[in-house]
Amino acid sequence: MKAAAGSWLLRPVLSWAKAVPQFFFAQIQYRGGEWDPNPRFVKPMVEELELRTSIKAFPERRVTTIGDPDIFYYPFLYLSGKYEFDPFSAEEQQILRRLLTLGGFLLAEDAMGAKGFGFDRAFRREMEKIFPNHPLRRLPQDHSVYQSFYLLDAIGGRQRVNPYLEGVVIDNWTPVVYCQNDLAGAWAKDQFGKWVNECAPGGEIQRIAAFKAGVNIIVYSLTSDYKKDVIHHPFIKRRQNL
Amino acid sequence: MNPGQLSFAPILPLWLNLLLFAAGAGACVFQFRRLQRRLFWRKALLISLLRLGAFALLAVVALNPFWTERKEIKIAPALAILLDASPSMGLPGHPGKSTRLEEAKEALLGGPDPVLKILEEKYEVRFFELGESLKGFSSGDLSQLKAGTQRGDLNEALEALAGKNQFALLLSDGSSKWGEKKGGAPPVLVYPLGSRDEYRDVLIKSVKAPPVAFRGKEVVVDAAVKGYGYDGLQVPVILKSGEKLLATKSVRLQSGSGEAAVGISFIPDEIGSYTLSLTVPPQVGETLAGNNRRDFSLKVVRDKIRVLMVSGSPSMNYRFLRAALKNDPAIDLLSFVILRTPANILNVPVQEQSLIPFPVETLFTKDLKNFDLLIFDNFLYHPFFRAQYLGNVRDFVREGGAFAFVGGAGFLGEGGYGGTPLEEILPTRWIGRESYRRPASLTVRPSRAGASHPITFFSADEAAQKNLWQEMPPLSGFNPLESKNTGTVLLEGAEGGFWPILTIGAHGKGRTLVLATDDSWKWYMGMVAREKDHSAYLRLVERMVRWLTKDPGLDAVQIALPETRGTVGEEVEFRVKAGTGAPRAGQKEAPSLSVFNPAGLKIASQLRPGGQTDEHLGAFVPDRSGTYRVRVEGRQGAAEETVLIPDPAEEFDGAPDHARLKEVASASGGKLVFNRDELLREIEDLGKRKETRFVEEKVRPFWANPYFLATVLAFLTMEWYLRRRWGLI
Repeated sequence: MKAAAGSWLLRPVLSWAKAVPQFFFAQIQYRGGEWDPNPRFVKPMVEELELRTSIKAFPERRVTTIGDPDIFYYPFLYLSGKYEFDPFSAEEQQILRRLLTLGGFLLAEDAMGAKGFGFDRAFRREMEKIFPNHPLRRLPQDHSVYQSFYLLDAIGGRQRVNPYLEGVVIDNWTPVVYCQNDLAGAWAKDQFGKWVNECAPGGEIQRIAAFKAGVNIIVYSLTSDYKKDVIHHPFIKRRQNL
Repeated sequence: MNPGQLSFAPILPLWLNLLLFAAGAGACVFQFRRLQRRLFWRKALLISLLRLGAFALLAVVALNPFWTERKEIKIAPALAILLDASPSMGLPGHPGKSTRLEEAKEALLGGPDPVLKILEEKYEVRFFELGESLKGFSSGDLSQLKAGTQRGDLNEALEALAGKNQFALLLSDGSSKWGEKKGGAPPVLVYPLGSRDEYRDVLIKSVKAPPVAFRGKEVVVDAAVKGYGYDGLQVPVILKSGEKLLATKSVRLQSGSGEAAVGISFIPDEIGSYTLSLTVPPQVGETLAGNNRRDFSLKVVRDKIRVLMVSGSPSMNYRFLRAALKNDPAIDLLSFVILRTPANILNVPVQEQSLIPFPVETLFTKDLKNFDLLIFDNFLYHPFFRAQYLGNVRDFVREGGAFAFVGGAGFLGEGGYGGTPLEEILPTRWIGRESYRRPASLTVRPSRAGASHPITFFSADEAAQKNLWQEMPPLSGFNPLESKNTGTVLLEGAEGGFWPILTIGAHGKGRTLVLATDDSWKWYMGMVAREKDHSAYLRLVERMVRWLTKDPGLDAVQIALPETRGTVGEEVEFRVKAGTGAPRAGQKEAPSLSVFNPAGLKIASQLRPGGQTDEHLGAFVPDRSGTYRVRVEGRQGAAEETVLIPDPAEEFDGAPDHARLKEVASASGGKLVFNRDELLREIEDLGKRKETRFVEEKVRPFWANPYFLATVLAFLTMEWYLRRRWGLI
């Protein structure tokens, strides 16, 4: 929304400061590997989200497991790791399949960034079992996730493994987005407010791009393919051609 | 008596006859010889001749002779005089003169030596009136005959006359129904009435319009306009709905009997059932004005339900609402999500943003009327537009639009809708203590009204309905509201206070709804978590939209009218579908039907069970032309439709059609006759050809002739007498 235009821009911050958070991260704790490579990523991302968007978010994550009965009510599941983890049980696979096919959303991150090894190998293995008919694939440049808030042409992160996102696409919905650039690694700050990790090789530009990607992924998880509505087409096209 | 009329039919074979006669003759000769011995030969000869005579006569009887008498008899042919009594026969035959029917009477009864008198002397004359049906009448009633109200069917009439009448005389202007059929009909002499050259009229011959049109989409009404005596004249064709002018177009009348085609288009802007009319203003010198107008029915529906949704921010509630709305192919959704507010700071130039301007001015001033439903989803208005636009929203609802408010933190209290026009139209009010309650755990249940309302009624099984809502996960946040007197609560908190969660209401012609939570998406995911049917949420959203937009598909009572137009006096039948909801206390089980005639008076009607559950068949017999109002009241609501019974005068083409009469005459082997002399001459010719003669035969056998028997007896008696006198006995 072009909130930057118009006289109301100059108004003071209004009462939605009291608004109740609609969004929070629910991070999945799994067996084996390292499920929490970036424990301090939530607050900086939530601050960025609230600074840039109208979304009100809870500044703390909720740690959960796939077997948690409340997992179906979490708006945004986050799965991260560096190393290979134990296979999900058949029941866990069934829960994830049901959850993600029928409305849930998962952002998965490979904090190691080693293609075909560690977390990447284990995650791809599990996705293949859960969605045998919907393989994890590179999301095309016109996918809504690249246009949901910012118009992204690159994906930042602590590292630069892929300039794109991957995902599982079911009909018009992408319930799983997978990134190997370690977005959370770029978002994370320590208790003193300093960045936990350097972003390489792009430095701070790469970090900003990581936040932009984070915002876009979160907005996509809450709006689906809203940006595919006809009314958005001419604007997005015009701006991409600028 | 003709000698050729004597015939024989021998009882015995001829040789046996001759043998017997020879034997008899021999016996007589023998008798003569014996009598000669006792009597003088002349006396003996006399007695023998008498015996021989008797024998001869008996031999003749054995030959069985008989007389055949033949007599030729003539029968006068039956002539059927067929008088057309169609409505057009009441029109002037010639301008300023008597009617065509009077012309017909004059042709039969006029003059010093009336044609009818001549005909009755020569033929067996039978009279028939060709009106709605074929009716016979006596010659005395001829002068009383009047034009009827419906055209007769000439084919049926001639079929009925065939066989009983040798020929027919038709007096008509040619307006009867006629379709050439081969054989069967008697020869018809046709006496044409009226004058085509002098007839002047303009009529709408036909109207072709779709029975159903879509609101906002162009509808084309095709009409054929015909003119007699106004060749080349340009006339306007006016399309109206009641007194409201919809469109007009000019058409140039064709010469001769050609029809001018005209297509008039308009865009219906409101859904509903309408009676439209096409009219050509009466022209100077027109014979008829009633056929210058044609009424027809048009039902305007929406092609898609156009929904405008404005969401306060990206949220799960928005995503699931959007998915539910997109799931319904009948819904055309335009949604705006406030992705950033004035408080947010953007760190990139415009070419790196996907955000588009929120077209407030256009949406809330010009385009609002193009939508059926406006949804505010946890939307806070005042950072984006002035409160006066909320007045436009109120007016939109008052004029028939629908408005739904989905709750959240930006609702009435903090959202600042208190005291705005929006608060005026909503069925709930904020109670002023807190604007939003979270965290909470509120299970909902259908209220008493919600148990049978189309939005929240999911199962006729009361237990299943109750279980469904009990299984729904509790809401973790809601707006504490209270219902206004004008609101109807459908879903309420099941514990911890009967908070209205889903409340409906109305304002003006429109409907409103408040869903006091942004957590309803959990009703979907909760059922997914329980591995149960998760479609209830989708159905709930779909039904909310359909109820708000008064979609007939959601009406508990629906009336399906026949596609064919009804006629006066003939039963109009229609189907009624009356709800599936459970009856409430005090409600009648069966629906009731009321039909009101064009004068607004209730007329007799019947409603009987149909083939399927909740289906009924309704019927009534219209007693006049006009628009009838059909109302069905069921246990869950009522429905109303209108049925148009067209005025027969609208379709009335009164032009004499002598070409058709010529066809009738030639198809039957008859002829057109134009005056008295020609009429009598042709009838004479036809009468002669159709004259019937036959020969009557009478057969008289000899043996049945008493004189013959008396002669035989006389011979034998004389013989006996002479024998006795001459002493032989």
